[in-house]
Amino acid sequence: MSSSRESILAAVRANRPPATALPPVADFGGEASVERFTEWLHFIGGQVVRLAPDQPLEDAVQQLFPKAVRIASNLLPATVPVNGQTTTEVLEAVDLAVLQGELGVAENGAVWVPEANMLHRALPMITQHLALVLDHRHIVATMHHAYAAVQHTGAYGVFIAGPSKTADIEQSLVIGAHGARSLVVLLR
Amino acid sequence: MNHPQRAAVFTSDAERTTWHDETLWFVRQKRDKAVYAIPEFQQLRQLASDIKEHTLSRLDEYLEQFERNAQANGVQVHWAADAAEHNRIVLGIMRGVGATSLVKSKSMLTEECHLNPFLVQNGIAVVDTDLGERIVQLREEAPSHLVLPAIHLKKEDVGETFHLHLGTPKGEKDPQALTEAARLHLREKFLVGQVAITGVNFAIAETGAVVVCTNEGNADLGVNLAQVHIACMGLEKLIPRTADLGVFTRLLARSATGQPVTTYTSHFAKPAPGRQIHIVIVDNGRTRQLGRPDFRASLKCIRCGACMNTCPVYRRSGGHSYDFTVPGPIGAILSPNIDLHQHSSLPFASTLCGSCTDVCPVKIDIHTQLYKWRQLIAQANELPAAKKWGMKLLSSVLARPGVYRFGGKVAREGLRLLPHGLTHATAFNPWAKARELPEAPKQSFREWFEQQSSIPTGQA
Ligand code: SF4
Repeated sequence: MSSSRESILAAVRANRPPATALPPVADFGGEASVERFTEWLHFIGGQVVRLAPDQPLEDAVQQLFPKAVRIASNLLPATVPVNGQTTTEVLEAVDLAVLQGELGVAENGAVWVPEANMLHRALPMITQHLALVLDHRHIVATMHHAYAAVQHTGAYGVFIAGPSKTADIEQSLVIGAHGARSLVVLLR
Repeated sequence: MNHPQRAAVFTSDAERTTWHDETLWFVRQKRDKAVYAIPEFQQLRQLASDIKEHTLSRLDEYLEQFERNAQANGVQVHWAADAAEHNRIVLGIMRGVGATSLVKSKSMLTEECHLNPFLVQNGIAVVDTDLGERIVQLREEAPSHLVLPAIHLKKEDVGETFHLHLGTPKGEKDPQALTEAARLHLREKFLVGQVAITGVNFAIAETGAVVVCTNEGNADLGVNLAQVHIACMGLEKLIPRTADLGVFTRLLARSATGQPVTTYTSHFAKPAPGRQIHIVIVDNGRTRQLGRPDFRASLKCIRCGACMNTCPVYRRSGGHSYDFTVPGPIGAILSPNIDLHQHSSLPFASTLCGSCTDVCPVKIDIHTQLYKWRQLIAQANELPAAKKWGMKLLSSVLARPGVYRFGGKVAREGLRLLPHGLTHATAFNPWAKARELPEAPKQSFREWFEQQSSIPTGQA
């Protein structure tokens, strides 16, 4: 194909340093508790809400987001149907997305959301507010455990840690840059 | 202009210099707090360094593995020997899909390749979507930091820029209000972007996926709304396994800003149905650096910016004083590989204190490399005349004890007798800018020692 490919690979081959070993995959243990997860998520601007075992998801969402009208979700009766073909105009008007998170990380408050849970790849970012439902038994200690559990990151998948934020103006933290303005994790 | 001259422009505003220095030191302190909370942090640094070193030692094999897997995912892989080829490839992809507008998330590589001006010349509308990058784009400036592109600006500057370009009220300088204005302005751009460009933080050989780390969500928003995603990466971004991300995601944000992790850690492997992903793998001098045993470790860099936050020279001279895409200590060891003559002053923009090396999450021996570049720059006859002759004079004096003794005497007398205006004239003595010379002692150590040994022993 392209000649640059061959010349680059040839240059790498000629210039690469002597072989060194690849270290085995790391695991340093760590605490996989709900408390730690909650603490970190608060620290990075998110919120954790514990659901009672028999509490319907709709109730909790209604209480937390009384003003949300356009809700996209496959976990509760939605007001905006969203799938892979949904147009940008419709996506852009979504107030709240309620999606399933697969895995929480105690050391940083991140939640793994694979493509299959997103309805549309842009939904978790374009929605004004995001709620992720998470099984409290699916919290791991560190990113090492998270990647060990996820194994393959699939066609597309994201660790989401708190709401979108920026500190690009004089290092002052502002929540709600381009993605969701708030993030709530609903723990089951 | 060289680094000292450009730094002089920056430091002429003493108040701003102090503010810049303190702001970046604050980021360094946040980094420390995050790092000290992880007992295994030093082991993680070693692991990261070992993984990168191993990857470089078999880079050709990992690149081929990555390409195979990416292609199997339905991704189109392109190779660019230099910046010009990279830019041509991107333009070709855009023309191929008939696109005229582009949204870009953070990519230092496209800065390095000067992609924006090239595309604009060719009739493409380019919008940088990272807030800091958008600010400097509107001001027609270059980013001044790897992860904090607008760190050289104060909120009043941003307010003025947004007033001019986004129509915010004159005098508005509240970061919250300004960010909201940018959010609304950029949402419009996201919604109509036909093609989205992202950088790449890590490329995973075993899956063909690329990983992009952001806080704002702009990369994901741009990519997932556009028909075409172009991911541009330097060939040193490879890591072998998905599991290695465990090490690097734990190090990157903590080292960069003191966050436990970036808000979004996004893994792109396959295009959504009906859409396209292109990956452009760029050399642009990297294979040459790989062939320099003293300097190849610089290719381990994960662009966290910790070395600049800690650097006493960067903090007080500003990112633009380096006049290179990557500023700070790491920029000073990458730039001479690109053009030794043009960037010959950068390895001297350091006190060699070694703080950069101490904080680097992948254990690059940055200050050692700075020292080594200095030797090469001297050999290549690229030292400024004053420094060169100063060094020559000094070494000839130090090699002759008689001359040294005489010179010391002259200096001691001279410093005492000559007027301050002369001994501290910055034309002769640039060291004395904003510094006082020490008070000259009456006698030298040698004279003192001879006096002592003439005192009979046995009496204290
Ligand atoms: S050289 Fe090290 S500290 Fe500096 S940006 Fe690169 S990884 Fe970070």
